[in-house]
Amino acid sequence: MHFLTWLESTAASEWVRGSPSLFAFPGILSCHTVGMGLAAGINAAIAFRILGVAPSVPIAEMRKFLPAMWFGFWLNFFSGIGLLIGYPTKALTNPDFYLKLALIAAGVWLVGKIRDRIEQFPKKLAVWSLICWGGAITSGRLLAYTYRHLLAGM
Amino acid sequence: MANFQVWLVHFLANAAPPIANFMRSKWGWPMAESIHFLGLSMLVGCVGLFDLRLLGMAKRIPIAALHKLIPFGLLGFAINVTSGSLFLLTEPDQYIYNPSFQFKVLFIASAGINALMFYKTSWGRATADNAVPDAPRAAKVAAAISLSLWICVIVCGRLLTFFRPGDCPASGPGLIADCTPRSPR
Repeated sequence: MHFLTWLESTAASEWVRGSPSLFAFPGILSCHTVGMGLAAGINAAIAFRILGVAPSVPIAEMRKFLPAMWFGFWLNFFSGIGLLIGYPTKALTNPDFYLKLALIAAGVWLVGKIRDRIEQFPKKLAVWSLICWGGAITSGRLLAYTYRHLLAGM
Repeated sequence: MANFQVWLVHFLANAAPPIANFMRSKWGWPMAESIHFLGLSMLVGCVGLFDLRLLGMAKRIPIAALHKLIPFGLLGFAINVTSGSLFLLTEPDQYIYNPSFQFKVLFIASAGINALMFYKTSWGRATADNAVPDAPRAAKVAAAISLSLWICVIVCGRLLTFFRPGDCPASGPGLIADCTPRSPR
C-alpha cells in the first residue's frame, strides 16, 4: 500500500486526477476510447472477414490494416498508463482490472496467431478474438462500477 | 429553442417509464454502456477501415469488395442509437442541456451528410469495373472527413460526463428543466 500512497502523491498523479484541464483526465479518457475503437474494431473487422463477411476481399490483404490496429493499441497502452497513474489503487485493487488485462493479453496473442495463418481462415481463432476484445471492452467499462477503493489515502 | 428543450426533456422523461426503471436498476446503466462501447468499436472498426482503404491503405483490396463490411458498421450504429436512447430516456435533462451532447449530435448528422455526399459524387468512380486502386481525390477527402468526424463523435461522447448541466436539489422536482432558470443555450 506504501507504493500506491506514494504514487498517488506524485505531481503526475495529481495532475491526471485533479487538473481542470480538458487534456488531463478527460483528454486521456477520450484517447483511450478512440484507441479502443481502432484496436478492438479493426480486430473485429478482420474476424468478420475470416468468418465469411465480404468474401471478395483477398483475405491476406486484411493484414495491411494491422498497423492502424497497433496504432490504436499503443494509444491505449500509453493512455491506459496515464489513467493508471491517476488512480492506481482504483484499478490495482479491483479483480476486474486483471481480468481486463488477461483478455487483452489473450487478444494480442491471437492477433499474431491469426496474422500467421490467415490464409487458412482460422474461424475458431476469429471467434476467440471477438470474445477477447469484446470481453476487454466490457470488463473495462465495468471498472467504473466494480472498484472497492478509489484512492489508497481514503 | 429553450421552450423546445423543456418540451423535449418532459416528453423523453415520460416516454417509457419501464425503460427508465430498468436503467436505474443496479446493472441497467453499466450494461447499456458496455453495449454502447461494443457498438462504437463495430462502427469505427468497419467504417474506419473502409475510410483507411479510400485513403490508400491496403490498395490491393477492391473498394467495392471491402464495402461489404459497411453493413456491420451500420449495425454498430443501430446498436448505439438504441443503447444511446436508453440513456436519453432515463436522464433526458443531462443530455438535452449538455453542450457535449449537442456537438455529438451535430457531428453524427455531419458524418451522415458526408457519407451521402460520398455516395452521390465519387462512389461510382471509386467502384467502377475499370477503377484504379487509388481512390478519386473526392473520395479521399470524404474518407478523411468521415474519420475525423467519428473521432469527434467519440470524444464528445466521452466528454459528456464532464459537461453535465448539474442536478436538481434533492427537495425539488426531478428535472432541471423545472428547477433552473430557463436560459436559451
